[in-house]
Amino acid sequence: MMGWRTTLVAIGTVLAGSALAGMGAQAQEVPGVTKDQIKIGSFGSLTGPTYLYGKLTMNGVDAVFAKVNEEGGVNGRKLVLVREDDRCDPATAIAAVKRLVFEDKVFAIIGGGCSNAALAARPEVIKDEIPFNVFASVADGISDPVSKYIYTTMTTSSIESRAQLQYAIEHKAKTIAVVSQHDAWGQSRYTPLMEDFKKRGLKPALDLEMTVDDNDATTQALKIAQAKADAIIMVLYAKPGAVLVRALNKLGQSPMLIGQTGIADPVAFAKEVDIPGATDKFVTPAAVRYAPTDPEVKDWVERIKKMFPNDNLSVFNLMGIGAGEVLVAALKKAGPDLTRDKFLEAMSHIHVKTDTYAGEIVCNDPVSHQCNQSVAWLGYKDGKAVALGVTHLQQN
Amino acid sequence: MMVFGYLLATGITTGALYALVAIGITIVYKATRAVNFAHGDLFMICGFIAYTFHVMWGLPYVASLVLAVIAGFAIGAVSERISFRPAIGHGIASVLLTTIGLSFVLKGIARAIWGGKGDFIPFPPLVHSPPISFADILVPPQQLVVLAGAIVVMLLFAVFFKFTQLGRMMQATADNPKAAKLVGIRTGRVYMYTFAVGTAVAGSAAVLMAPITLLYPDIGFVLFIKAFAAAVLGGLTSLPGAVLGGFMIGLIEAFSGGYISTNLQDVSSYIVIMLVLIFLPNGLLGGAALRRV
Amino acid sequence: MKPILGIRQFLALLFLVLAIVPFVANPYIIYVCNSILLYIILATGLNILVGYAGQFALANAAMFGIGAYGTALLQVRLGVPYFAAAPTGAVLAMLIGTLIALPALRLSGIYLALATLAFAMFSQWVLLHWNSVTYGGGGFPVPHLNLSPIPVGPDLGIYYLSWLVTIALVVVAWWISRSRIGRSFIAIRDSEVAAQCLGISLWRYKTLAFAISGFYAGVAGALYAPMLGYISPEGFDLIQMIIQKSMIVVGGMGSVVGSVIGATVMVVVLEGLRAFKATQEIVFGAILIVFVIFCPRGIATLLRRLPGWDEPVSSFDSARYRVEAPSPVAAAQPVREKP
Repeated sequence: MMGWRTTLVAIGTVLAGSALAGMGAQAQEVPGVTKDQIKIGSFGSLTGPTYLYGKLTMNGVDAVFAKVNEEGGVNGRKLVLVREDDRCDPATAIAAVKRLVFEDKVFAIIGGGCSNAALAARPEVIKDEIPFNVFASVADGISDPVSKYIYTTMTTSSIESRAQLQYAIEHKAKTIAVVSQHDAWGQSRYTPLMEDFKKRGLKPALDLEMTVDDNDATTQALKIAQAKADAIIMVLYAKPGAVLVRALNKLGQSPMLIGQTGIADPVAFAKEVDIPGATDKFVTPAAVRYAPTDPEVKDWVERIKKMFPNDNLSVFNLMGIGAGEVLVAALKKAGPDLTRDKFLEAMSHIHVKTDTYAGEIVCNDPVSHQCNQSVAWLGYKDGKAVALGVTHLQQN
Repeated sequence: MMVFGYLLATGITTGALYALVAIGITIVYKATRAVNFAHGDLFMICGFIAYTFHVMWGLPYVASLVLAVIAGFAIGAVSERISFRPAIGHGIASVLLTTIGLSFVLKGIARAIWGGKGDFIPFPPLVHSPPISFADILVPPQQLVVLAGAIVVMLLFAVFFKFTQLGRMMQATADNPKAAKLVGIRTGRVYMYTFAVGTAVAGSAAVLMAPITLLYPDIGFVLFIKAFAAAVLGGLTSLPGAVLGGFMIGLIEAFSGGYISTNLQDVSSYIVIMLVLIFLPNGLLGGAALRRV
Repeated sequence: MKPILGIRQFLALLFLVLAIVPFVANPYIIYVCNSILLYIILATGLNILVGYAGQFALANAAMFGIGAYGTALLQVRLGVPYFAAAPTGAVLAMLIGTLIALPALRLSGIYLALATLAFAMFSQWVLLHWNSVTYGGGGFPVPHLNLSPIPVGPDLGIYYLSWLVTIALVVVAWWISRSRIGRSFIAIRDSEVAAQCLGISLWRYKTLAFAISGFYAGVAGALYAPMLGYISPEGFDLIQMIIQKSMIVVGGMGSVVGSVIGATVMVVVLEGLRAFKATQEIVFGAILIVFVIFCPRGIATLLRRLPGWDEPVSSFDSARYRVEAPSPVAAAQPVREKP
């Protein structure tokens, strides 16, 4: 049994441990805000296959912060981004939020890559009363029902899914096939898409699945050819999308191809398909209105190149840039006497045009905290992305 | 009949992808009696290295292929020394851990260097020509290249293991490392060459397959799982078995996806594996179960 | 010499510290310690199967998921209260674990690994596709623990419940390792034929090993659901399996205290890796490699020299635990391995 010596050691260790724990706990007036700095936290995937929606989007936010800091910061304070990895896992996302709040002590959070991780983190964010701007996760459940603390500047999955179906119907598609990934990412878009079909009294002619790593889509293309589908709604990443387009081309099929923000760069997509002409009928409703190759985003190309020498500007960076600009606008509007409540107040009726998002960002508290209700339609022709117009959807 | 023809062609061409990766796994197993769980990621790194030479630095295709294979050889040798040698003799769990550690290191390096260049990076094929027709079935030429590559590599190594001294030394080392040492085989060297050669094979496979699979840091994982399954199905010590296993998995996926449901395509091979192993505990070509006393 | 800090003292100290943590630390630390408790359960159960019974199975993460999903779905779909749903979820995982045991009886080494891996992939597929039951890839929210009328918040509630259950399961594992069951497991691991000669029923004990590890994983899953408040398929994939496997290798296979140490160390390492941001993968991989280079048999084996750290009947000779596919040469002349 435990002797008295051991008990003494145990008590000593515990006391020492609590002393150490106590040392770091300096309560600040407003967490994350000092005379010359505002600490903003971010959680998303830094590792693993979903790093595109985490790390690269955060790079975009960092680019905005660098630009704003060069211009003097927000009301004299420089912006600092503190990143935490959620590894696209609910448990790790909760830990990341707790760490940002209790260890890194950030003022607000801009983040959310994987939808399940963000959904799991939502109750934690609300409990800790920290503002959270969603920049990449698309699941509606993150920002709906409305919470005082959570706003999203990313077009939610229901917005994009409805836009996809809307396009097919407007362009007189008779036989619509849906090809989707059934992982967490795909599911968040697939569910509202199917709901929208039902609401319109329609059914997809085909409901097929692909996985991210599929290297061949002949089975899917055969079924599409047999059904003579004239429109394909693709709830896919760029790779399965490209594989699908190749297979369709092989079988001589040429239907309308409707993408979404997962394939928001038509130029890169055409290169991935690597068959001239195969993506001429490809359109995508995207949260951002420019492809990375467009001249309008040249400045951002240079900034990303300077800050991250190994990277090329990508759609994910553009998403982060838009989200970062909204955050900065709200921080500025909240004024020099910065508190979380003032920031939330600023977010609640913000009205901002960003460098990258399709339309204006309008938050309409308390009706909806889904502030991005526009999608930009991008097509492809002769090696360039073609802007086909912006659709504003109904405010919920 | 059309549908069947296309599914058959798809099964064979996708199977060739798995076979090419499975051969590398089997080569390493044949000489070391261990499974290299980083094989898929070694494949991925070689693919990115080839991309750097060919697309980023503009070297011609064949030169990039050769350089990628040489780089693969070197990386394989190095990774054997740091991540495999320490685990030898400590059991399958230690090998699992070190090779998985290597897998993470390679993925992290790839993500850091190439991760920001694009989500799925295209790699130009050997030839840009329209699909070739086989009895009304169109097959993209690069897939035929992969198929040919798988068969060539398999034959080369079958010859290598049977007729060359290094090949026989590898088999001897795998069979009984102590006895091999007793007859003067430098087992450490043999392990190193095996890994180097296995990775070089992965490198050539990557260049052949990259136009089809596209390049991204996480391509190794799923590819490895399926190739590993193919190799084990084929008996793990049999090169033709690895190829056969690869084709089998490709065909199962194609036929289940085409005839039953696309929802089933990805999981069908796992279901079949579970069933096969119940009745054939040593895989298809692994022979009857022997018990060591 | 009576050990000052032997295994028992160490474990008691560890659990004492864990009991006090919620009073002195911030919610992030509390959450991490709660994870440690759950992973101790997972690692202990897995070690019984892999380290003691020698069955190299890769389905533990799937069992973890079945326990979590079982518990959560009973609560959410059928309104079953937690303290009935949790044991049911755990038993469900145990039953499915036992089912896997049946084909496993004929398999060993790499073939068993592949079969259990295939099962794990299959169960991921079920969780993703059986939308009508499991809610599919999107996951679903799970009620937090409500211990009323005990006046304790849900976070503290699940923490101390996990603490109690972890201690109980570690004690049970300790008892198993010292009992006839444990000795039979080790006999099977070291030589199936010899074990049979001793009258040990292979199928009975292998099935028992799978059942025990399935139960442990199921219990961990039942505790995981209310801790997170959200369940989705990602948390139970191969990455999770790799983490659990590394815990028992790092801690020491065939050792109860090894499981505890391995779980604690790995959770702390994984949280510590956060400092490396995007280069975590490289550092994590390097840590695994370096660890095997310097400490291939696990931390518990290193500590075995210290007084009070000897575990009964757990000597783990990993040289014997090597995967060998049958070869024609061996068939002709079965050679005795090193004594």
